Amino acid sequence: MKILTTVKKVVDVELNIHVENGAILDKGLQYVINAWDENAVEAAVQLKESHKADTTLVSLGSGDNTDIIRKCYAMGIDNAIHIDDPALAKADSPTFARVLQKVYEAGDYDLVITGKQAQDTDAGQAGIMLAEFLNIACVSNVIKIEVTDDSHIQVSRLGDAGTEILDVTLPAVITVSDGINEPRLPAMRGIMMAKKKKINVMDLAGLGTSFEDVGGTAPTSEIKEFMPTEKRKGGQKFEGEPAEVTAKVVDLLVNEAKVL
Amino acid sequence: MTNILVVADIKQGELKGSTAELLSKARAVGADTAVVAVGSQVKELAPQLAAAGSDTQYILEDASLEIFSAKPFAEAVVKAANEFNADMVWFGFSETGKAAAPRVAVQLEAACATEIIDVTLDGDAVQIIRPAIANKVLQKVTVNAPKLVAVVRAGAFEADPEIAGKENVVALDPPEADTAAKIKELISDASGEIDLTDADIVVSVGRGAKDQTGVDMVKALADDLAAGFGSSRAMVDAGLMAHNKQVGQTGKIVAPSLYIAVGISGAIQHLAGMNGSKVILAVNKDPEAPIFNVADFGIVGDLFDVVPLLKEEIKKIRA
Repeated sequence: MKILTTVKKVVDVELNIHVENGAILDKGLQYVINAWDENAVEAAVQLKESHKADTTLVSLGSGDNTDIIRKCYAMGIDNAIHIDDPALAKADSPTFARVLQKVYEAGDYDLVITGKQAQDTDAGQAGIMLAEFLNIACVSNVIKIEVTDDSHIQVSRLGDAGTEILDVTLPAVITVSDGINEPRLPAMRGIMMAKKKKINVMDLAGLGTSFEDVGGTAPTSEIKEFMPTEKRKGGQKFEGEPAEVTAKVVDLLVNEAKVL
Repeated sequence: MTNILVVADIKQGELKGSTAELLSKARAVGADTAVVAVGSQVKELAPQLAAAGSDTQYILEDASLEIFSAKPFAEAVVKAANEFNADMVWFGFSETGKAAAPRVAVQLEAACATEIIDVTLDGDAVQIIRPAIANKVLQKVTVNAPKLVAVVRAGAFEADPEIAGKENVVALDPPEADTAAKIKELISDASGEIDLTDADIVVSVGRGAKDQTGVDMVKALADDLAAGFGSSRAMVDAGLMAHNKQVGQTGKIVAPSLYIAVGISGAIQHLAGMNGSKVILAVNKDPEAPIFNVADFGIVGDLFDVVPLLKEEIKKIRA
């Protein structure tokens, strides 16, 4: 089984984000691997261990992704491709999906595993659109993958009415939620070996395509401006005798906030 | 004129509040409205769908649609969108919407935007506002494609009780089942449970509750309030709460009138799922817990003392 996983480098959401004049300031930003993509990598590595799957990782972006790719190598990924093209800095979800389609078509994969969304955009579209472009099976928000045989997997998906169990015929795209696994911390040996591994870096031309070809020059939508979110402020905090403060707070909820 | 098709949000045969909210907003921006309802028992919802503010109801009822399957669901929405000549398709915030919207957008060659909180129309120009980076920033996005498929974030729009549409039912033919991703089984959430995303009050439990006894105690408070019962990620990881109870960036996004966070410290990912709530009450032992930075009311104290007292006080006012 050949597996393709996708990873995106995203802004660390734990840090403060400053917005000025409609743009996010670079100051103080740090970049990390998208948390859900880390779950996707872990899922792929687990299939490598249990079913001898061959695992390839692809990262898309503009700029150096060596740090996050080395981390994925250290977790156990076999091969890595980085599509590094400045044009991708402003690409929308369908364009990312088209680039992934090119990567997929060049590799004869059975299964694509992606995170359910990226932490920077929270869009959750690229994986599903990839499957739609390829006209292959897709299940999103998956919390369990089990291999049935060479051409079938069974997955569990968190839906609105409960957990849906599906029999999936490969090839397929699966997008995973964080409930699927706990990504491993790479061991020292893996980290050392990861440093020696080659990363296949190419731009869109190297992939045999162009920004225009993947729809990049005619984006379906464009981010025009960033604005700071209106921050909630802490309100009244009560300490002291529990019975007293609880009665006081319930009174406020009833008579001031009028929500009880 | 803009045509907006709203996808009815139906859970266990019941129409959820988001449908009326979206239809109200669609009418408020001056659009012609239609709704599409897909499921195994949806015909009977037609009068309700009209009352919620739709002037046409595309109904696809088929026994095969009892359990959600993204492909036929999306195909049904596309069919309705084409018949209605929809400029926009709006989904309520749900796993159904998140799974179907990108498919519908590709098939309609439309732009796709998830988690939108506002949309403005200025002639043909469409602009949307949506949060990003775990709700830390807002994006102003312009739509270039002639059509837009959007998933609207919970609590973004309010239903206007004054509006009503008219009943005009159009039946749709059932699409073919997905043979490549075949539904085998649905393990239902407990029935009769209050839906987190629809609840007027949500009580969530965090690591502070420690174990099953603590969880049960907080659950009892939720039951007394007829509230939805949610969880922080930590409790899900600890196996004390189910995945579908997780409130946060990756789980459910909720925007109730009152959110009660019990023993939750307030990690960024959790805040991203609940900071749209009207009023937040936090109970936590640690006075420095970040949850207090967003809570309108905070009680610093041991939840094992405070929760029983809260129950008592609520019993008094509800008596």
